[in-house]
Amino acid sequence: MTIPEHLLYTKEHEWVRIEDDIATIGITDHAQEALGDIVFVELPAKGRKVQAGEAFAVVESVKAVSDVYAPVAGEVVETNELLESEPEKINTDPYGEGWIARVRMSGDKVELLDEATYTTYLEE
Amino acid sequence: MNPASEHLIRTPLYERHVALNARIVPFAGHAMPVQYASGALREYQIVRGGGAGIFDISHMGQIRVSGPEAMAFLQHVTTNDVSRLADGQVHYSALLNEQGTFIDDITTYRLHEHEFYLCVNAANRGRDARHLLQHAAGFDVRITDESEDTALIALQGAASQDVLQPLADIDLDAIAYYRFAPVGLLGRQTLISRTGYTGEDGFEIYMPADIAPAVWDALLEQGAHPAGLAARDMLRTEMGYALYGHEIDDTVTPVEAGLMWITKLDKGHFIGREAVLARKQEGAKKRLIALELVDRGIPRERYPVLADGQPVGEVTSGMFSPSLQRGIALAYVQPAAMDSGGLAIEIRGRAAAARLARLPFVPSRVRK
Repeated sequence: MTIPEHLLYTKEHEWVRIEDDIATIGITDHAQEALGDIVFVELPAKGRKVQAGEAFAVVESVKAVSDVYAPVAGEVVETNELLESEPEKINTDPYGEGWIARVRMSGDKVELLDEATYTTYLEE
Repeated sequence: MNPASEHLIRTPLYERHVALNARIVPFAGHAMPVQYASGALREYQIVRGGGAGIFDISHMGQIRVSGPEAMAFLQHVTTNDVSRLADGQVHYSALLNEQGTFIDDITTYRLHEHEFYLCVNAANRGRDARHLLQHAAGFDVRITDESEDTALIALQGAASQDVLQPLADIDLDAIAYYRFAPVGLLGRQTLISRTGYTGEDGFEIYMPADIAPAVWDALLEQGAHPAGLAARDMLRTEMGYALYGHEIDDTVTPVEAGLMWITKLDKGHFIGREAVLARKQEGAKKRLIALELVDRGIPRERYPVLADGQPVGEVTSGMFSPSLQRGIALAYVQPAAMDSGGLAIEIRGRAAAARLARLPFVPSRVRK
């Protein structure tokens, strides 16, 4: 299982990459592995304003439906439309082609963990 | 696995599942593999795509009914017409209560005139056995629950016969669809039927529990792939096969469930017959239908079905069909809703347009 060093993580198993005021969000390798084969992704609408901790996307595997929570507050500026035709990218490349959305941040964040803390959290 | 799993029954193949990195889940009181390391989708594709999958379904129950009045007894307690079975033939059937609702759906195997074998759902096994014993009074029959000593492996997919033939001591061509035969495997006697729950050619192999690991290993060696409950559920849903606890339970009769084809009202008395007849005459208040999503989305159990915006029923099984690349569902709806143009399934508060589909969703390739 991979947990890249340069990303931040939530206790709900999202990852975040923050560049200036833009947060790129996806779900972690641990999350995709727990879910199994992902067959459907419901992306948030562009322009949607989200609160930190709000469910803003849905990932469905063969057997399970799982909410994805926005780790940061702000406005959805871009979504990964590739996932509509190839949702399995979340399984094969969760930190790359499997990214879900980009949010322009405006303030609030949930508690974000660095790689070491997230690794420890997973082990607990 | 959670701590509660310590109380789960392990099948004779449990160690094999663990060694194959299966994800084990509680299912009907058993610790069962829901999928193996390669994932449910891959397992599904192997079975649908010309390969062969092996499923441990040893959790299912086997009840032997024997004695001079075995046939008369089964005519009394099951819905299908047992008198039409020849030796070595199987049929799909059901146990109903006096209200005409399902105690279980089963398969009935006729070994000979005085000996039959029932395969029942794991979750209902105890209840089935009690029901049978309770109604056996007055019949010269013996009822034996052999589940504990029996393992059951389903080998499913177009390559099944190629996988199994080298291990078998008879020509498997001799076993037609819904027929069975005693077959020697690895020097031991097994019972093999050309049956299944996937819509593909394949076999169900009943064997003494102690040889199950060796048979499993031999099937793997012949090129079969292990497949779990998730793949099994996808395969059966695409065929529109009922699953107890989903499409059928003790609140519905064969009239609602579309299972009148296994309910032979003309064979004479059986438990539940009068209630089914009455329900048939008064008309069902709901019908099991098949729906295909037009919009994107995946229907799931208990999602509401809408007709022209109004709730008219509920999904009993739903999934993303890899073959159709769209959401599919089995659902109970009010009969009038079937004539409605504007069918939809409510997914997270949104109406996803749907249309009636014909079953099976995917063409059956069983070898008839």
